[in-house]
Amino acid sequence: MSRLILPILALALGLAGCTRAPELDVEIDISHVVGSEPLRLDDGVYRDAAGEDFSVSRLRYYLSLPRLRRADGSWFEPLHPAESAEAYHLVDEARADSRRLRIAGVPAGEYTGVEFLVGVDEARNHAGAQTGALDPARGMFWTWKSGYIFLVLEGKSPQSPAPGGRFSYHLGGGEPSLARRVYLPFGERPVRVEERLRPTVHLAVDVGALLSAVNPVRIAQLPEAMDPVSARPLADNAAAMFRVDHLHHEPRRRGGG
Amino acid sequence: MRRRALALLPLLLVLLLAANGVLRQRLADFVESFPTPRAAVPAGWPAPQYDFSGNPVTASGFELGRRLFHDPRLSLDGSISCASCHQQFAAFAHLDHRVSHGLHGANGTRNAPALFNLAWQPALMWDGAIHNLELQPLAPLANPVEMGETLEGVLVKLRADAGYRRRFEAAFGPGEIDSRRMLLALTQFIGTLRSADSRYDRGELSAREREGLALFRRHCATCHREPLFTDYSYRGNGLDADSADAGRGAISGKAAERGRFKVPSLRNVAVTAPYMHDGRFDTLSQVLRHYASGIRDSAALDPALRGGLALGPEQQQALVAFLETLTDEAFLQDARYAEPLP
Repeated sequence: MSRLILPILALALGLAGCTRAPELDVEIDISHVVGSEPLRLDDGVYRDAAGEDFSVSRLRYYLSLPRLRRADGSWFEPLHPAESAEAYHLVDEARADSRRLRIAGVPAGEYTGVEFLVGVDEARNHAGAQTGALDPARGMFWTWKSGYIFLVLEGKSPQSPAPGGRFSYHLGGGEPSLARRVYLPFGERPVRVEERLRPTVHLAVDVGALLSAVNPVRIAQLPEAMDPVSARPLADNAAAMFRVDHLHHEPRRRGGG
Repeated sequence: MRRRALALLPLLLVLLLAANGVLRQRLADFVESFPTPRAAVPAGWPAPQYDFSGNPVTASGFELGRRLFHDPRLSLDGSISCASCHQQFAAFAHLDHRVSHGLHGANGTRNAPALFNLAWQPALMWDGAIHNLELQPLAPLANPVEMGETLEGVLVKLRADAGYRRRFEAAFGPGEIDSRRMLLALTQFIGTLRSADSRYDRGELSAREREGLALFRRHCATCHREPLFTDYSYRGNGLDADSADAGRGAISGKAAERGRFKVPSLRNVAVTAPYMHDGRFDTLSQVLRHYASGIRDSAALDPALRGGLALGPEQQQALVAFLETLTDEAFLQDARYAEPLP
């Protein structure tokens, strides 16, 4: 046994001593809009495609399992420990820091697009007690029926027949799942990941599209969608509300950042 | 004099422990050596559904779970604990309550189920709404007519309690009290509530009880499959032509499953009255009369029950005699599951 330890130690030291590639990353910044206007919670009033006025009091959703597409069509998928929730990100319009996520450990190279899941994959959706973004204490877990709420949109509209003119959409569950894979190409210019440059991808996420992109939804007819059957049209819309607004490459400061 | 010296012993022990890391470790090892219920599988039983390998049961984890289970501070106003509606002497069902009352006396809609052998359940609740035992406690915790609390609210209370901070660290190591640790501890308790020591298990049946067992195997065991006495399926058992409670239908979204509920285990059934998802029957005799002559047809009705079971009064009584042999007295009185000392 002890005969094995020395070589292993030597190997470990040797590996650690090798030139360590600097930790490169890609940042994704999210801005929520309604059409061409920026989203302002509570006091912004917008008009949907059906001509209904509405305001938004809560917007939260999961962006999970991000991966980057290389120019040659292959993928970079970050590796995470099996138990960790690092590949799950909860975006909450009310929390500015949640609108920024970082894909870490990205090898240098050129990338042509990013893909992620809007929601939570089946394995994690049915797993036991989890931490981080998947901590049920985050309020995105249905307690009476196991599973995550993939997306929450709540607000008010004079056209809503519900008490207080409220509308509430909670998307989650479903067979097949309401989680949607979304691929966003970066456009003509690829994202370059290299030691000198730190790329940032700015996404514009259109809440208006959530009501109209694929399946037109009228708040007057659907003031509430809390089950997978009534929320299914919204899930298709949710997949279509993301677009890459612009890219940024800034000099990377030495020693991280 | 000697008694006074004895009274000082715990204090002495604490002082010694505070001073000596080795002794502290010894005490921890000693506590771990207590006969905590473990995730053992009784002979002849299938493998459990819940995988304890991700949540190994320890004495300190189990004790913490037991404490949480019995602590009313887990509810919004400190009035209701898990044990309020899950009483050990009733096999952790709620004696004499058709449905249970939670905060401010608000009534629930379903009969509190007995809790034992939960590690074998593929899904929890009457309608199978919960997929993983670890997440089960969230449902009563958050239900406004049960404990009415939020997970965040409970964590704030637990973090403010030095005793809990110490117990969580003993169970899970250094770190903040979080929802996962709380749920894992509760799971160590509710997942090791094991009942497998009834007279039926020991094979100590009288002639009449054996007669009941034969009838049981002929008429009941398809759904109430041995040795767990359930096949965990969702079935309609003819209670209503049109069920007021959607049951499994609310989870699956299938109209034909409206009014279907999970087949409950019949272990300890003699002490878990009242019966059915809404607690409508007070006695086992009433239940058997229902299966013999009270079945009402509906789309949800299980085909095996159409027209009722062919059971005369004598046979019904023999069946009740058999069902009473499923009571596990050792489980009902097991001090390891009882409310812990403060």
